[in-house]
Amino acid sequence: MCPSLPSSFLLSLLSLLCFSPYTALAIASSPADSISNSRSDYHEQLILRPLPLSTLLASFNFRSNTSLSAFEAHNFRFFPRSLGQILEHAGTRELHLRFSLGRWDAESWGARPWNGAREGGTGVEMWAWLEADTDEEADRKWLTLTNALSGLFCASLNFIDSTRTTRPVMSFQPEGNHIDANATNMHLLYGVLPHEVVCTENLTPFLKLLPCKGKAGIASLLDGHKLFDSSWQTMAIDIRPVCPEDGECVLQIEQSIDMVLDIDRSKRPRDNPIPRPPPAHEMKCNTSKPYHAHDTCFPTDSAANQDWSLSQIFGKPIKGTCPLTDPTVSPVCIQVPDSRIVFASEGAVEKKNPDQTSRCFDFPAENDFEIFLPAPEAQDGSVVIEHVAKPETPLLYAERSFTGHGQERGGVQTILRNPSPDQEVEFIYMESLPWFMRIYLHTISARVDGQPGKADSLIQEVYYRPAVDRARGTQLEVRMTVPPASTVFLTYDFEKSILRYTEYPPDANRGFDVAAAVITILNKDKSGGNGRNSRFAAYSLRTTTLLCNLPTPDFSMPYNVIIFTSTAIALAFGGMFNILVRRFVAANEGPESGLKKGVNKLKAKLAGILKKGRKESAPAVAAEEEKKAW
Amino acid sequence: MNGGKVTLRRTAGLYAGAAVLRLALFTLFPGLPDLLTGRVEISTPVTSFKRLQEGLFLYNHNVSPYDGGVYHQAPLLLPIFNLLPSFSAFPIFTYLLYIAIDILSAHALLRIAESGEAGSSARFTSPRRDKRWSGAIVAALFLFNPFTIATCIGRSTTVFTTCAILHAIANAISGRPFHAMVALAFASYLSMYPLLLLPPLILLCYDRQKLPATGAPNAWIKFTATMVMDVFGALAVLFQMSFFLTGSWEFLSSTYGVQLTLSDLAPNIGLWWYFFVEMFDSFRSFFLAVFWLHLSSYVGGLSVRLRQQPLVVITLLLGIFSIFKPYPSIADASLFLGMVPLYRHVFPLLRYSFVIAAIIIYTTFLGPAFYHLWIYAGSGNANFFYAITLVWGLGLSLLVCDLAFAVLRDEWEVERPEMAGKEIRQI
Repeated sequence: MCPSLPSSFLLSLLSLLCFSPYTALAIASSPADSISNSRSDYHEQLILRPLPLSTLLASFNFRSNTSLSAFEAHNFRFFPRSLGQILEHAGTRELHLRFSLGRWDAESWGARPWNGAREGGTGVEMWAWLEADTDEEADRKWLTLTNALSGLFCASLNFIDSTRTTRPVMSFQPEGNHIDANATNMHLLYGVLPHEVVCTENLTPFLKLLPCKGKAGIASLLDGHKLFDSSWQTMAIDIRPVCPEDGECVLQIEQSIDMVLDIDRSKRPRDNPIPRPPPAHEMKCNTSKPYHAHDTCFPTDSAANQDWSLSQIFGKPIKGTCPLTDPTVSPVCIQVPDSRIVFASEGAVEKKNPDQTSRCFDFPAENDFEIFLPAPEAQDGSVVIEHVAKPETPLLYAERSFTGHGQERGGVQTILRNPSPDQEVEFIYMESLPWFMRIYLHTISARVDGQPGKADSLIQEVYYRPAVDRARGTQLEVRMTVPPASTVFLTYDFEKSILRYTEYPPDANRGFDVAAAVITILNKDKSGGNGRNSRFAAYSLRTTTLLCNLPTPDFSMPYNVIIFTSTAIALAFGGMFNILVRRFVAANEGPESGLKKGVNKLKAKLAGILKKGRKESAPAVAAEEEKKAW
Repeated sequence: MNGGKVTLRRTAGLYAGAAVLRLALFTLFPGLPDLLTGRVEISTPVTSFKRLQEGLFLYNHNVSPYDGGVYHQAPLLLPIFNLLPSFSAFPIFTYLLYIAIDILSAHALLRIAESGEAGSSARFTSPRRDKRWSGAIVAALFLFNPFTIATCIGRSTTVFTTCAILHAIANAISGRPFHAMVALAFASYLSMYPLLLLPPLILLCYDRQKLPATGAPNAWIKFTATMVMDVFGALAVLFQMSFFLTGSWEFLSSTYGVQLTLSDLAPNIGLWWYFFVEMFDSFRSFFLAVFWLHLSSYVGGLSVRLRQQPLVVITLLLGIFSIFKPYPSIADASLFLGMVPLYRHVFPLLRYSFVIAAIIIYTTFLGPAFYHLWIYAGSGNANFFYAITLVWGLGLSLLVCDLAFAVLRDEWEVERPEMAGKEIRQI
């Protein structure tokens, strides 16, 4: 759904249209107007990294700076004006926005790109530091911000209400350099919409924020069909003030898109999209298996070594470079071992990095650019794994799931595995749960796999803000450690509440999405001290979202229930009322009841008429008429 | 003298038996307490022991238990349970507390039964009064009622309210109006709805005063004013203590506000939850008002019509509350069913005793089954359980009406002794 855009946004769009990239190019490239920092004000880079199991991680990164003075003077060059005005209006000092889909398979793909700093849980996630004197003012500004961003990004961000907003205490720290980072007028608000389906209508405004609008440079590869067809993708926007040691503070906007593409799936032709098993003679068998014979075949992971090219995967080559980008940064890098052959299109310059696992390409701005990776030659059928850079082991593996069954109560179990043989991991586990999951904090416990009994000493600190019905969600932050080479189970119980029937979505039996848990691994190396050089989080990761089934009433029944219950109450009240107000008499006493009296009267009358009829032999019609008169 | 000793020994044996049975259930089936605590028929949002534990946990960790949607019980329960050794380490102390509360309730019921108030009050003496059960039998029927046992094992905090109500009645009968009012204040503090028992309880106290009422025409006004002041004074003290304990007044909206507005719609055996799940939003507050008005409308009518027998009014009101209060559980039904044997003398006048017994047994077995079908098996829907709650409500209301009928007929037969055993009707 796309709420109507605010008029100021339309205005800013118009102004952006007048400011076309080509005029910008003219300014930037004219030697007379050599602004010292214009060259580093914008850069973009695409990093391709083949992953095991025939997948490819593509990380797009776009970064532009504007000096704070220019920003305050409303002098927008690379910084998108539409976003800038919103930030200024809502008093936002730092903003992080994430649109994500899919699941990062850490077991096969290893550590996350950017150490997890540029990703969000499934759906939409945003957090921001707002400048406000009171909590109420911060809430007001947050509301303004979410509503404005909702219009800008065509996302349901305006549904981030008080039940979906929390104020994390331990999990987040400002990434930028704020003069007064700990000042009381900085409010961190965090909102999450796990149910939001990220799609093309979110990508279009995302690309519009780029100086080249996705028409040139690496952004020309981005296309909704491919992006949202990937196994995992996350779009991130981070805006933060950065103050270099020397020089003026700048406001930095960093936009990044990370996606994991299934090469087989991407290469499948559009007109024949249904995957079919290859015919027997085309199957590649793993001959090292003992049961390999002429009639049995264990398929090799042949796809891992498949050849691919950019235009096969993205459907088109890169359309030159964005003329505004910093020429010192190579636009495309690929992380494969140096031993692997990579063909690039004509005119491109290959630069191998000294680490022997990656190389970058520079190419002329006006040419299309294409990369082709031929399939490495398999040596005697054995799997050639070294043709893919070895995935880095993440600091922590985390999986979260529900336990128990039924729609009454359940438990949440998070399995946290520390792969390191000798280093313990300290992290903050944050959950923001909907209010209708009533969690019982007294049941929270940790258990080390393979050891009997609880290990609650691993939980070092808990920050808990309980939910209030229909007003606030649960916020739970747990600082805990996982000992080296061990697996810890963190569990707690919750109860599912039944809602008013108008509070259920139309697909009530699908369940309710529960936002991903955010795990922030703390940086042990705190030598920086002031937070300027050392990042607060060494690594962060999100679990998958969960689907919580609530008990549902019968939606077709409101009238019936009102009628039945009212009847039951009326019966009880009526019965009681009758007993209390009526007098007792013997069965044969007192005035006769209405019906009996009537029947008796009628009997007497009939008897009289019959007698009369026999005596006077009057016509039966008269009797009939008499009867009718009754 | 000897008879008294025998009775005493019988009573002690009865209590010991009840305690041993409960202790055996607690210790021999360690999974049973948690199983019963999870049952919607026993634990409601305002009485659940699991929620009490959560409240206690938050209270001990300096988080206000009322700043959340889980704990809706009275603040004074927190220090009481806090004084006990930790539940997770020594559950036996909690078990013993619940057993003691049950026995205290049974003892109060025994005192009520021994007083003979049910058969012959200050203003009315039933011709059938000789046909009654001894206090030990009434107490045994309460203590060995499966509903009472299940409530005790499920550790629902309703038992405290039950105990307070029974003590209020027992004290009123034994001519200690101040004690009765303090006990009633406790019950109201814990569960709010017992405050509606105030008018009949004042009548009971007034009838049972030690000193015969003086000739002054306005003596009853003074008496009533004193009683009302006693209750509200005791309540004010309790509220003030709660305020000091929690440091704010937010417990009021969290404990009593939830009962008034039914913001937690957890299923229970009452009629409110499904009605307000299905209610249209614009009519919600109207029907809340209607339901509360309906609940309180019985007090006046019954007190006036059964002025001669205030204990009957209290019994009938307890029956009505166990059907129509916002979060009823079988604990409320067990209190009402514990009071019914006091009226052994009017049992022959009950018209539908078989139907009522059949309905109660039928719903007792079918309720959990249908709940399972809805929540766990998925082969039924909410209407299954709702239908059973309707039948349960109708069955209990039939019992309340039938008991009212029997008592009134008993009263009427004082005027018309010749009508005993004859067919009668109401006009």
